[in-house]
Parts: sequence; C-alpha cells; structure tokens
Amino acid sequence: MQTFHIRYRNTQGTLMRILNAASRRALDLPVVHAEPSEHDHLVTLALEVNQKQVGQLYREWYGIADVIKVSSGAAQAPAWTTAHPPAGVAMEDARAAARA
Amino acid sequence: MEIKGADIVLKCLRAEGVELVFGYPGGAIMPLYDALEGSGVRHILTRHEQGAVFAAEGYARVTGEVGVAMATSGPGATNLVTGIADAKMDSVPLVCITGQVRSALIGTDAFQETDVFGVTLSLTKWSRLVRTIDEIPAAIAEGFYWARSGRPGPVVIDIPTDMLKAKKEFSGPVKFTPHARAADAKADGGFTDTIVALLQKSSKPVALVGAGAKLSGAIPELRRLLDDLSIPTFATVHGLGAVPPEAPYYLGMVGMHGTRAANTALNETDLLFVFGARLDDRVTGEPTRFAPHAKIVHFEIDPAQLDRVRPCELSVIGNLADTIPAFQAELRRHSLPDFSGWRAVACGPERAELDPRGLAQPTIRFLDELFSRLPENSVVIADVGQHQMWAAQRYRSSSPRGFITSGGLGAMGFALPAAVGVQLAKPDTCVLCVSGDGGFQMNIQELATVRRLGLPVKMVIVDNKYLGMVRQWQQLFYQRNYAETDLSDNPDFVEIAKAYKIHSFRLNEDAMREFPVSTETGDEIDRFLRSTEPELLVFDCAPEANVFPMVPAGAALSEMLLEEEPAQ
Repeated sequence: MQTFHIRYRNTQGTLMRILNAASRRALDLPVVHAEPSEHDHLVTLALEVNQKQVGQLYREWYGIADVIKVSSGAAQAPAWTTAHPPAGVAMEDARAAARA
Repeated sequence: MEIKGADIVLKCLRAEGVELVFGYPGGAIMPLYDALEGSGVRHILTRHEQGAVFAAEGYARVTGEVGVAMATSGPGATNLVTGIADAKMDSVPLVCITGQVRSALIGTDAFQETDVFGVTLSLTKWSRLVRTIDEIPAAIAEGFYWARSGRPGPVVIDIPTDMLKAKKEFSGPVKFTPHARAADAKADGGFTDTIVALLQKSSKPVALVGAGAKLSGAIPELRRLLDDLSIPTFATVHGLGAVPPEAPYYLGMVGMHGTRAANTALNETDLLFVFGARLDDRVTGEPTRFAPHAKIVHFEIDPAQLDRVRPCELSVIGNLADTIPAFQAELRRHSLPDFSGWRAVACGPERAELDPRGLAQPTIRFLDELFSRLPENSVVIADVGQHQMWAAQRYRSSSPRGFITSGGLGAMGFALPAAVGVQLAKPDTCVLCVSGDGGFQMNIQELATVRRLGLPVKMVIVDNKYLGMVRQWQQLFYQRNYAETDLSDNPDFVEIAKAYKIHSFRLNEDAMREFPVSTETGDEIDRFLRSTEPELLVFDCAPEANVFPMVPAGAALSEMLLEEEPAQ
C-alpha cells in the first residue's frame, strides 16, 4: 500500500479526475482523504499499486489541468481492512433508525 | 448594455477566432441557436450529433485550429461522446458546447437531462458546468486554452438553458492565465550531449515519427534533423506525411499493419528515437518484446505518455519545436559513426514491403490508381477497417495533414462527417473520403449534409460486403467463424446516393485486373476526382481480401504475417 498526496485547485471535477486515474486501472480506493490546505486542496490516497502503475498515475495526475503537485509517502498499512461497509448493514441501520 | 448569455457565448467564440461550428439543435440549446443569426459564427447543420463532432474534428485535424461542436442536453450531448473520446485519443483540439436543462432542474432527472459533465469527465482534458451567467466568458476562455495547449484535446462546456436566456452587462471576452504547475517543467537543454553520446555508441539507430511532430508545427525542423541523421525512419498512422515518402531513409508505416522493412528495423535497432508518439499497442505489438535491443530516447510534450510501455533511457519533455533544434545544434558539433551500411540493409530491396501477389490484389491496385491520380495537396480521410490500413499503406502523402483517420479510438463512421469538416476548411482542395461498407452506413445520413452544402467531397466505398477487418481476424484466428460480419444484404449504395441527389457509380474488380487500367477506367477515375460536385464511387472488392503485413494481437512485430498461409 502506497500513500499519495496530490495538491490541486478545487475546481469542478478535479478531485473526480484524480480518483478516476486510479479507478480506470481497477485500483481499489480504500483510503481517500481530501481537505483544504493553505490556498489549495490536498487529497491523500492509499493505493495498492505496482511500480509501473506508480509512474502512470504520477504522469496522469500531472496531466490534469488543476493538479499542482504530486508526491508520495512511505508504504503503509491501510487504515481499515475492508474496502467498504457492506451495503446491507448500512441499509439495515437506516431502516432501524427510521423505525425508531 | 445587457445582453443574453447566448450572445455572450457567441461573442466569446468569435474572440477565440471561431467562424464555423457544427451542431444539431434541440430544446435546451435553443437560445444559442436563436442568437446565431448575425453573430458572425456560421453554423453547419449535420444530421446527427455524432456527425457534428466528427465534422468538427475533421476541421480541427486539417487546420490545427480548435473545432467546435454544439448539441442539446441529454441525447444530443451523449451522441457527442464517441467524438470526444476520439479527440482525446488522437490529440484533437475540440470544444463541445452542450445545452443543459435549466439550473433548477439539474439533478432531478428532468426531461433530456444527462450528467454530461460526469459522463465526459474521463474523456475530456477539461470541462465546466456553468453555474451563473457571469462564468460564461471565463469558461470559454479557459476551455479554449486547455483544448489548444500542450497535448491538444477535447473540452466540454455545459450551459443550462436559463444561463443562455439570462441577461447581463458584458464588458468583453476575458483572457485565461494558467497557474504555475510542477508539470509544466520542460527539458532544460542538458539532454543533447547524452543523446549524442548514445548515438556515438549506436550501430543501428532508427527514428519513429508520430502525430506530435505535426501538432508541434515542427515539421521543417524535424525534416532537417532527419536529413542530418539519415537513419532508417518510419511513422505511426498519424505520423504519415511528416516525412517525405521519397526520402531515401524512409520505410513507411510501422506497427500492426506496418511495412516489413519498418517492423524489421524496429526489431533490430539498438537506439530508437521517438518523436511525438505515445507508442500504443498497435505500434508496439507485444510491449515486452517491442524494440528488444533498443535504448529509447522519447521526445514528447505529454509526460503522461512517457515510460508507458517500457522505460526510456532518456525522456525529453517539451514541444518538438523547441527540443529538436537544440538536438540538431548539438548534433552538428560532433562527428557521428557512419550509419550508411545499416541504412542500406534496413532500406534494401530484400525487405520490400509486400509480396508481389499482394500488390496484384485488385483493391490495392484500385487504391494505387486512385491515389496516383489525386491532385497535389489532396486530403485523404479514411474510415476504420481494412480499407483504412490499405489506404495508410498505399497513400504516400508528403503533406503533414494530408492523411486523416480515427487512429487511436478506431471509430467507424468517422470518415464521411470528418470529410465534411475538412472540405469546409479547405474548399479548394480535393477531399477524398475512403470508407468501408460497414463504416459508411454508421453515418450515412451525412450525405444530406454533403448535398445541402454542395460540398465536392469524393466518396469511395470499398465494398466487400463484410465487416472486413473483423472478418479477417475471424478467418485467421477464429477458424473462419464469420459470426455476424456478413453484410451481403447491404443496400445498393449507388441508389442511396441517387436518393440524396449525389452522382454515383460502381467499379468492380475486373476493371483493375488489367495493368495498366484501361483508358476508359482511368478517365472515369480522373473525372470523378476532378468533379466540382459531390460524388460516390462504390468499388466492389473481393469479400475475402486481407490486409498484409499483419502482426497478430499479442505477437511481437518480428512475428508479422506477410501473406496468408497456403490453404491446407
């Protein structure tokens, strides 16, 4: 698992383009954290990638009009092990909340 | 004075130099159509939005300027999507303006509402869903900037219909100033001595030229450099025309249907210069066995294209118009090894491109006959399929924008509408549109556009009554199981053209069996090419004619098939 930090201008669709560079390669997105940072925005992604994909992702992110800078951190364990909560659980919770 | 958003759009388009837009009206974009008259922007009505976007692409590809397509919301906009993807793959500067449902309805699944911004997000270089009338000038200025800049590409500007109807004070178009980005770093010139050192150690250097050479506008610089280097040189399908075909070191097209000489040289080289090509799988064959002995020096404007297939020894990022002269200047300060022996082998007659039996194939003879009679500076637009590869192999244009096709996406139905855009951009040029019988029917409705405008487009259908390229693969790799590729129930194209009031006629293979062709056939082709009216020529092609050489999918370039295996 490798961590990437992408600084970008928070214009329409820029975050989606950043994420799409990963999803079009069928990479799971277990960790995505985006927040304002100084005058721009910063998104941190943790991705399971090979060396070739790292290069491809860097170059594709830099090709996005409003991406300012891309850097990567050390490999790390994911914050949680399951990619998403099971949809059924969430629905059940919602139904329970509605019944209450 | 207050003016409508639609008027602002058109004034901003004029400020970007737009004179011609291609489109199809509909509900949400009606205010823009209402404002067209007197705006200085000429609108070309096609008969389908896909026709509009391909026509805009044709215009952009032949001029190098931004092509503009317009469509309404929902189905109008989604019909643009194939053209947008095509422009992305082939680096075509394109701006699509789509009407959107009114702001209050966005997100409600309103009539003819589609999330066009979302649908096209991964296909565009940049896009904008306009939220207020105030955003229109900046959106258009920024959209055109990104469409043109760096590696050109498509942009979508989606404008809700109430923004087009709203009024505001307009102080004039704005200029977009891009922010500084780390990605804008360019080669600093220090690369040149490394290249010269690589050349001095090389014994079999070659050069591969792609579309970037044309897009950069650096054709004269590139040609001077190649003359200095005088090493075996070949081109991708979009690089055709960048190198004069008569250059003694030129080997033609490389890749899946490239020449034997080009693919062999690429397999043997120890140093490969790539000038503005992204090295897609149709060029490389099996990537792990691409140029297996070579070090690669890649000149490229788009960093995203570097090291995609395999790592380069040296990447030179920047516009070829800047990097090539720097390379050449350094080159002229050094003496290089004598590459004449290598060149003689690589360009020698024993590596002739086609088996003589292949050259005798009537379709190739027909295309040779057609191309040899074209007036100078003609533009050939090929659709997608066997005829496309035959045309790419046989048309020897020395004009960088003389051969146009949908190369990366391979979108059937491209050629006829693209020819409309090319002919409008070049009204005095002979524009020859070569299609197959499958692709022609994908946008056959644009015959109405050709007729309406009286465009003297010369259309050729190479009619083998099959989806020929798919059938060829079925023959070679699927044991002749011709599943759903039989088009023997095609309509009579000659009669269809007549219904559109377009003169049309048929030639069959027998006319090409004589060599040279009869005077009557030659005169008929000459008359066709020089007609001032639109014309359609249907060439009846052998159903099982195949394109060779051919590199099977997943094979290395060195494993190309030069001819059909003899029947067992």
